[in-house]
Amino acid sequence: MSDAAVIDAEGIAQKREHPARTTIKRLLRHRLFMTGLVLFLIIATAAILAPWITDVDPNRLSMRNKFKPPGEGWIFGTDSFGRSLWSRVVWGAQLSMLIGASVVALNAVFGILIGAAAGYFRRIDNLLMRINDALMAFPAILLAIAVTSVLGPSTFNVILALGIVYIPRTARIVRSSVIVLREMEFVQAAVAAGAGHWRILTRHILPNAMAPVIVQLSFLFAFAVLSEATLSFLGVGAVPPTPTWGNIMAEGRDFMREAPWIITIPGIALMITVMGLNFLGDGLRDVLDPRLRIQQ
Amino acid sequence: MKRLSLSTGLVAAAMALSAAPLLAAPFTCPTRGGDLVFGQEANVNSLDQMTSSTISTRNIAMNIYETLITRDENNKPIPELAESMQEAPDGMSYTFKLRQGITFHNGKALTSADVAASFDRYNRIGLQRSTLDNVAGWETPDPHTFIIRMKQVQPTFVEALSSFSVPIVIIPSEHKDDERQQLRPVGTGPFRLLEFVPGSHARLGRFDAYRPNTAYEQRTGFGGYRVACLDTVTFRIVTEASARVAGLETGALHVVEDVPTRSVEALRRNSAITILPLQNWWIQIALPNTSLAPTSNLAFRRAVQAALNMEDIMDAASDNNYRLNVGFQYPNQPSYTDAGKETYNINNQQRARALLRESGYRNEPIVILTNRDLTPMYNAALVMEQQLKAIGINASLRVVDWPTSVQMSQRLNSTEWHFFHSGWGTQPALGALATMQFLVSPNAAYRPRDDKDDPEVLAAWNDMNIQRDPAARQEAFARMQRLVLERAYAFPFGSLTKVQASRANVKGFVPFRIPRFSNVWLER
Amino acid sequence: MFLVALRRLLSAIPVLFIVSLISFGLMRLIPGDPAASIAGTSATPAQIEQLRRDLGLDEPLLMQLLHYYQGLLQGDFGKSLLLGKGVLAATMERLPVTIGLSLYALVLTLLIGVASGIIAALRQNTWVDQVAMMIAMLGISIPGFFLGLLMIIFFAVQLGWLPSGGYVPFTQDPIGWLRSTTMPAISLALLQAGLLARITRSGMLEVLRQDYVRTARAKGLPERQVILKHALANALIPIVTVVGIIISLLLSGAVVTEALFSLPGMGQLLTQAVLSRDYPMVQGGLLLVTTFLVLVNILVDVLYALIDPRVRYE
Repeated sequence: MSDAAVIDAEGIAQKREHPARTTIKRLLRHRLFMTGLVLFLIIATAAILAPWITDVDPNRLSMRNKFKPPGEGWIFGTDSFGRSLWSRVVWGAQLSMLIGASVVALNAVFGILIGAAAGYFRRIDNLLMRINDALMAFPAILLAIAVTSVLGPSTFNVILALGIVYIPRTARIVRSSVIVLREMEFVQAAVAAGAGHWRILTRHILPNAMAPVIVQLSFLFAFAVLSEATLSFLGVGAVPPTPTWGNIMAEGRDFMREAPWIITIPGIALMITVMGLNFLGDGLRDVLDPRLRIQQ
Repeated sequence: MKRLSLSTGLVAAAMALSAAPLLAAPFTCPTRGGDLVFGQEANVNSLDQMTSSTISTRNIAMNIYETLITRDENNKPIPELAESMQEAPDGMSYTFKLRQGITFHNGKALTSADVAASFDRYNRIGLQRSTLDNVAGWETPDPHTFIIRMKQVQPTFVEALSSFSVPIVIIPSEHKDDERQQLRPVGTGPFRLLEFVPGSHARLGRFDAYRPNTAYEQRTGFGGYRVACLDTVTFRIVTEASARVAGLETGALHVVEDVPTRSVEALRRNSAITILPLQNWWIQIALPNTSLAPTSNLAFRRAVQAALNMEDIMDAASDNNYRLNVGFQYPNQPSYTDAGKETYNINNQQRARALLRESGYRNEPIVILTNRDLTPMYNAALVMEQQLKAIGINASLRVVDWPTSVQMSQRLNSTEWHFFHSGWGTQPALGALATMQFLVSPNAAYRPRDDKDDPEVLAAWNDMNIQRDPAARQEAFARMQRLVLERAYAFPFGSLTKVQASRANVKGFVPFRIPRFSNVWLER
Repeated sequence: MFLVALRRLLSAIPVLFIVSLISFGLMRLIPGDPAASIAGTSATPAQIEQLRRDLGLDEPLLMQLLHYYQGLLQGDFGKSLLLGKGVLAATMERLPVTIGLSLYALVLTLLIGVASGIIAALRQNTWVDQVAMMIAMLGISIPGFFLGLLMIIFFAVQLGWLPSGGYVPFTQDPIGWLRSTTMPAISLALLQAGLLARITRSGMLEVLRQDYVRTARAKGLPERQVILKHALANALIPIVTVVGIIISLLLSGAVVTEALFSLPGMGQLLTQAVLSRDYPMVQGGLLLVTTFLVLVNILVDVLYALIDPRVRYE
């Protein structure tokens, strides 16, 4: 945690530009961040506008039109059921955004909760971290497979499964920051002044712990989108015919040579999204805390 | 004792005499040698044929093991390790004379003691040991005679005994205590096991001391006159379809179990590759849950029956590689009947809507249960959903994985699904009896309330089993099929063609229920 | 040093206990029983029922749990329902495949990742840097199975250089092993190399800015020596921390890769076990794998402590 940010938090009374404003200005100037933001916004916009920019239901079968290549009449071509790939990929964008955002939200809430609790209250730290380590010890993909198998295949359960897999990692990061911050002078001062736990956490510790978490969450969005694709490929993701990018790719893998567009187009869309998010994360990290570069 | 030269339908007159040399020349290998690699689509975890019902195990195991009697190319029972079989006039015993000079892969000579031990193990842990339910016991009066004694007469016993679903393979007596899935791979077949790495591959090698069955000239079905021309055969597990096609094109794989229909066009243009379609691989089918409304209502089921367009469904299920097929057997089988054909492929939306109104359907949600592991079942369900929606049924899909769908489909009085998608492969290939068992309790596929069979269907089933005259059994089958189709207890969509392929220099390979590598050679 | 390792080992035990509990509970919660899966798709309901009885799946849950831990204490990890053989035996058969693949991938990752990271750092902000980081970024962004499929199409079919799947054990034929594991290893490595390249680059940049490097340069030392002797060693520290993460990522990535290339490794074994509800295999297998990972991480931490004296007194 950089000292600059700590001082900023302390020196609210001083007449400076609000720290958030400085940060945003720096972000806007950061080339990588902007590139990432643009890429991400392209996908996100397409996702939001899905009902208006697609002309046909993504699940509408049309056996007569199966395997049409991109071109006349079909922007992205059709798949093995004659469904419009353009429709499916665009609605898939919406689903990917949904899944990514939800996993991030879950992590934000529970990761911070658990991490802060573990970092702040020494007594439950041990227990929480043991469970945490146990969950982290499972190879991520296997845990996700097991959880979706238990809960049943659905978009919601994929979100839950990925949440369960990644929350321990987020919690760890929060905990590390909280542990360091806990010992800092300004926090000790607040304790001495008689502030309650809740106040200390929300007012003093967490705002300063956010930087690495924010960075982690943006990478997490990317991980979630990628993981969903892998789960669908293995057959345990959201239930078909839900047009997640992973499902579309899984459905297209048998026809890679004869109808490569089915697997390639969502693949490229996925890569653009993930790359955009990674650039975003990089930019955030550079701006929010250069020291984080080494810790990852 | 009456010589067994039974009947029509299912049991052949091909029970030949002892090894008298035939007039025509039996098969000989045009070239000998070579190592062939087979690309198999499903993982195989064990080669214990007695405790396994999976296709992937059978693919390999039936090149290594042999049975007393088996099925020929047209599915009729024929002797394999038995030289002859005689049924007692009262039907209470069967006497098998074993062929002479047969040795196991470990050098031991085959005697009736080994047969008895094999039956012992099968009876103890065989997955289909219910086959022996009516058997009182067996005897071995001398090293070349094996007698099975029945508790009661079972006219269909020979058919059951020769089944290849979970065959009673003959193993050396010292292996009879091997645990489940742990059977040591020693058999009498033309190939022996050299190496087995579950999840990766199995390598077989020619068994030099193999004695072909001189009662035949050619390979037929699972038996016949078999010769191992190849030095080795490697069954390589390649689960990814594009990798199988890739392997075939580069020559890394010589024969491939399954090729997606989409790739066939490109492969056809390749002169180094031969396409080998295998028709009637399985019957694509959907079953109704008659314990739950509205599928408990005959009028509703008939409405659905009228709405179905079998062409579209089969096209989706098989990527246009199918045959329309009435009923539960295929035209090339002697038991085939088109009884009930008026119910098939009606494809009349008007009539369907009328029947739907008649049934009093009030837009209740209908759940179509299918699985994501087997593409044809998933595809068929997707199209069926659309066709039902088109006549105004509030249909939706429930997609789970195979084990879950099986569990759900077998639950008594389930309220979770109305239609269940499946594929019947091995059983129709085995015959009418093996197939129709799906439609009687326990767990009749149409899930009657409290598992209480439709009495008329049950009566027909009983006749199929106990009538001594084969013609009467066949009539019972036709009757049962008609009842099932008219009462819409099942919706068979058609038969799927499995496309296999090989390198052009692989000769003698004829696709079958398993890939047979005897009488196969590599042309130079 | 030794104490550090010992302490880590001891603190790992409760973790492993929780792992075993979670895998037991998780498996029992999955709907659908093993019988239907093991019996295969062409089995009749009667055969499935028979198998269900043969597998003894009707024991009460608590008894199963008890038997499980009882067995564990005796070193018996249970018997796979699918394979019929012991979990430990099956794992020992498969683990070398995955470890071999992961090591190969790790070597490639280190080579590609560290080299490109260093080059990018030295040529900071030139086109070399941009391109290297772009490729690194691509590596992180592409789904593993997609990359694998593309490689199969390209290298196996178009070029015919490498087999499209199958495994040849090293002891049987080293060249064959190399050929059968190269594509899987590369596809795994490319995913992680990007990560490593970026970290190496940042680490190098950080180090190159340091005073001692400037001093070395000012002293007139040859650039090569500056980099190799002074900069690299210090830049290695963060790299070593990531190696532990990379190893577990590789093992995780192996799941997809092994499925794609039909390699009989742990990843494929466990995935299949979960999907077939092979309870003993999943429970025992996961326990063994996590034990292995814990040991690896401890090793990495020890290595880290050896390299960075600041960390010694934790």
